[in-house]
Amino acid sequence: MIYVFGGLLLITFIKEKDELLKKKRNICLFLLLSVIGLALGIVRMIYPYIPSIVYTLEKHMK
Amino acid sequence: MNKQLTMRQVVFMYLFISLSPVLRQIPSMLAREAGRGGYLSPFWSVFAILPLTAGILLLIRSFPGLNLYEIMVHLSGRVFAKFITLLYIFWILISLSAKLNIYSLTLQFTLMPKTRSDFFMQIILILVYYALLRGSKTIFRFSEFALGPIILLIGVLFVCAVGRLRTDYLFPMSTINFPSTIRASKAVIAVGGNLTLILFFADKLGIALSKKQIRRLWSGSIIFIFISFVITIFTYGITGAALTANLPFPFYITVKSISFFNIFERFEVLVTLICILSDFVTICIMFIILMRLIQWLFGIRERGFLFLPLAIISYYLSYIVSSTQFEFDYFFRFIILNINLVFQYIIPVFFGLLCILKRKHIKQQY
Repeated sequence: MIYVFGGLLLITFIKEKDELLKKKRNICLFLLLSVIGLALGIVRMIYPYIPSIVYTLEKHMK
Repeated sequence: MNKQLTMRQVVFMYLFISLSPVLRQIPSMLAREAGRGGYLSPFWSVFAILPLTAGILLLIRSFPGLNLYEIMVHLSGRVFAKFITLLYIFWILISLSAKLNIYSLTLQFTLMPKTRSDFFMQIILILVYYALLRGSKTIFRFSEFALGPIILLIGVLFVCAVGRLRTDYLFPMSTINFPSTIRASKAVIAVGGNLTLILFFADKLGIALSKKQIRRLWSGSIIFIFISFVITIFTYGITGAALTANLPFPFYITVKSISFFNIFERFEVLVTLICILSDFVTICIMFIILMRLIQWLFGIRERGFLFLPLAIISYYLSYIVSSTQFEFDYFFRFIILNINLVFQYIIPVFFGLLCILKRKHIKQQY
């Protein structure tokens, strides 16, 4: 799925190029959010059975 | 600033997005906390939801034509407003991930147990993208159009269920149960607090609120309390509080036992449909709010390019936050409810109090 998302991000970038490159803030924000999303995706791809935040919280709160 | 939304649309949106938690989570939460007396809890929530409505009206009337961010800037300054906006972004992101998760879990639990949750999430994200392409007004119009038939359907179900209601599941009640019913009302209050979302769209409501619009907002919050009460009575009266407390979706199981004069049955599919539609609208609204919050925080004009990165983040976050029904139940009960109380009550009440304190200054401005 991460490859699909990567491709879609590229398409969005090409489609919104003018808007994104008009202001530095726009491109920075787009890149920042994309990197966060892809990083989460990579974590999910490498560790598909990583314990969820709620599982960890539940374990520590008991 | 142009008038794009009516109070009627906003109130219908509030009722529509509150439907799925009312059907899915509230009955079991109330049964767990208050046992047999849990159906009285919606009444206690009046003491929180109605003052919240008054607070929201105070803010909207004191700052006509302004949204939550602009109100916060006027009351507390730009830096503090940006900080609160950042907190709201985190809240919406967590709520959005949880909503995506429970939406896919509901479909797995009720209709398609062998289908993977990824598939449901991908489909809803495509649908949400399509809906958002048509503009936010489409989503409000959809709520306005769909809520009436849904309320009618719930009414028909209730009429069909009246004969099956067991009074021994509801009575006898004792005054000893009252404190636990008050504590349990937190679940209803946290869901009813969705009313705060109206403040995010307050700039689209126009400059002056008419008496009719104010009446609509009040009636919206009263209808919410009434629906919560009816659904809880319905679930308790047929399934019983003990079983309701241990089921992930008690209303669905309750409706399974109802038939329309022995002619039609299996209404539970319609209950799933209602929840899915409600979740769809909620996810759309959360995306709109999230994009508006980012717009306010970073001062950007265009927000179309934000959808895909945010969709990716919320998609993966939904796995990282919680992945099973049990985890979601725990998350909703101990985390979402409490966080909701902070963002839906404490922060708006804080700004409401600031508004009262600075009333003279505000009056000079407008």
